[in-house]
Amino acid sequence: MELFRIAMIFSTIRLATPLLLAALGGLFAERSGVINIALEGLMLGGAFTAATVTFYTGSPWIGLLAAMGGGVLIAAIHAVACIQFKADQVVTGTAINILMLAVPTLVCGALFGTTGSTPQIPRSSLMPNAPIVVAFALVPAIAYLLYRTPFGLRLRAVGENPEAADTAGVSVYGIRYAAVLVSGALAAIGGAYLSIGQSSLFTRNMTAGRGFIALAALIFGKWRPVQTMLACLLFGFADAAAIQMQGVIPYVRVEYIQIIPYVLTMIVLAGFIGASRAPRALGRPYEKER
Amino acid sequence: MKSILFAAMLAMAAAGCRQPTYAEDDKSRIHVGIVFDIGGRDDHSFNAAAWEGVKRAARDMPIVLRDVEPGDPTSLEPAMRALAERNYDLIIGVGFSQTPLIEAVAKDYPNISFAVVDGFSQVPNVASLIFKEHEGSFLVGMIAAETTKTGTVGFIGGMDIPLIHKFAVGYEEGAKTVNPNVNVIQNYIGVTDSAWNDPVKGKELARTQIDKGADVIFSAAGNSGLGAFDAVEQYGKDAGGRAKKFVIGVDSNQNWVKPGFVLTSMVKRVDNAVYRIVQDRVNNKPVGGVHVYGLENEGIGYALDEYNKDLITDKTIRSVDEAKRRIIAGEIKVTNAMEK
Repeated sequence: MELFRIAMIFSTIRLATPLLLAALGGLFAERSGVINIALEGLMLGGAFTAATVTFYTGSPWIGLLAAMGGGVLIAAIHAVACIQFKADQVVTGTAINILMLAVPTLVCGALFGTTGSTPQIPRSSLMPNAPIVVAFALVPAIAYLLYRTPFGLRLRAVGENPEAADTAGVSVYGIRYAAVLVSGALAAIGGAYLSIGQSSLFTRNMTAGRGFIALAALIFGKWRPVQTMLACLLFGFADAAAIQMQGVIPYVRVEYIQIIPYVLTMIVLAGFIGASRAPRALGRPYEKER
Repeated sequence: MKSILFAAMLAMAAAGCRQPTYAEDDKSRIHVGIVFDIGGRDDHSFNAAAWEGVKRAARDMPIVLRDVEPGDPTSLEPAMRALAERNYDLIIGVGFSQTPLIEAVAKDYPNISFAVVDGFSQVPNVASLIFKEHEGSFLVGMIAAETTKTGTVGFIGGMDIPLIHKFAVGYEEGAKTVNPNVNVIQNYIGVTDSAWNDPVKGKELARTQIDKGADVIFSAAGNSGLGAFDAVEQYGKDAGGRAKKFVIGVDSNQNWVKPGFVLTSMVKRVDNAVYRIVQDRVNNKPVGGVHVYGLENEGIGYALDEYNKDLITDKTIRSVDEAKRRIIAGEIKVTNAMEK
C-alpha cells in the first residue's frame, strides 16, 4: 500500500512538527484562559527572526534562540493587551497576525533591500532534525508539567476558575503572563522550523495558514498534550497523503483528502466524538475583585 | 520596547527614502507604475523578471518608476486605481489574475495605457503580453528526458490553474518526444494564492517525487519552487561531482541559485516584454493589442550559462536546438493547454 511506506511516515512527521510546536504553544495560553489566535503571527515572527539571525551568524542555534526571544516579545504584546488591559483576545490576536504579515516585509526592506524574503541560507547552516526531536520530546514533558506539578495545577485552575484560584492565593495574572510568553516561544520554534529546518529562507506569509491549522489541532485534541499530538499527526498525515495521492487516483481531487481533518474537527466540535470542552474561563479577562 | 519601536521607525524612514516619489514632481517625464503579483518582486522568478525589465527601462529612459506589491489579492485594484488617479502614463499589472481588474480600471481611464503580463484582454488601451510557455517547457522537457537516468521526471506547479497547465503539458510532450516511455509525475502546490509562497510544501512535493523515482524536477511555482531547489541539493553529488538529482528553474534564469543542481531554466523574458512596452510608451507608440513572445523572438528559451554548461551534453543541446528550429518553422506543434 502506497500510503504506508517509510517515506510517507517521515513526511507525516515533518509536516506535523510545525503544527505540533504551535499547538503546544497554544495549549499553554488557552489552558490559562487566554485565547491565542495569534499563533499564525507568532510562527511568522519566529520564521523570520530565525532566518535572519541564522543568515547573519551562520548558526541555526543562535537563530533558534533569537526566534524564541522574538516569539516571547510578540506574545508579550498579546499578554499585556489581554491580561493587563483586558482587550478582546480574538481581536488582539488578529491584530498580531496582521502585524506580523507586515513587519518582516518592512525589516527585509531595510536589511536586504527585498520586499519580504530573506536571502537563502546555505545548507550547512540549517537544522532539519533538532526541532522535530524538541517537538515530540515536549509532549510528555508538557503532559507531566500540566498534570503532575503544582504549576500545572495552577495553570489549569486559572483557566477553569480564576476566582477560585485567586482566592487560593494563586497569581492569576502571573500564571497567564507566563503561559502566553511560553506559547510565543513555542510557536516561534514552529515557525523557525519552517524557515531554517524545512526550507532555507523566509518568504512572505510562508506559514500559509499553519498557525490556524495548529489551533484546529489543539481543539481537535481537546486541549490535551497527547491528543493534540495525535491530532497534529493526523493533520500532517492528511497533508502528506494528499501530496502522495496527487494525480494517483483519477477523478478524486486531493482537496477531498485535505478536508478530512477539518471535517473531523467540526464533528468533534459539534460533540459527535466525545465532547471537546474548552477551558471554562477561556476568552474571559480576569477582573481582580477589590 | 521603546527602542525597538524607534528602530522600526528608523527602518521605515530609511525604506521610505529609497522609494521614488509620487508623480507631482516632474510632469515632463513618463510615469510608469507596476503592480506585482502575490509572489512579490523578490521571487527569483516571474515577478523578479518583470522587476528586472522596468529597472532596466528606468536606467535607459527618462521615466519615473513606482512599484507596488499588494499584500493580498484584494489590494490589487486599489493599488492600480491609486496609480491611475495620479495620472500615471503606463500601468503594468504582473500576472494573469490581474486581467479583470486591469480591464475594469482601464475602462474608467481610457487615456492611460495599461499592460498585463500573462493576461489576454481586448480592451483597446490594455496591452496583453502573452508568452508561449508551452514551447519553452517542451524544450526543457526534452532536456529532462535526455538527462534522467531513472526514466522518471517531475513537474511541480504553483497554483493549479490553466496557465500553469500550459507549462506542464508542454513539458510532458517534450519529454515524451525523447522517450515515449518516460514517466512524468505532476504535482501542484495548491489552489489559492498562498501556493506561490510555500517553499515548505514545495520541498515536500519534490522529496515525494524523488522518492517515486524522479531525478529531474521542473518547478514552475514562484517562491514555493525554491523548496524544490533545497530538496535536490539534499541528495548531494556523486563521486564525480555531478548532482544526483536536478531541478529546472523557471521564468528567470535560476541556474545560479544552487549551482550544479540546476539543470537549466525555462526562461520567459518578461523583462524584455516589459522593457519594450515601456519603450513604446516613451516613444508615444500605441501600446494596446496583443504582444506574443515565443521561441521565434527570443521571448522564451532555455538558459545555458557557466553554471550548467557541463551538466547538459552537446548531443542534447543539438537535438533541443533542432526541435526549437522545427517548432519555429511550424513542423512541431506543441499543445497549448489554455486553448484546449
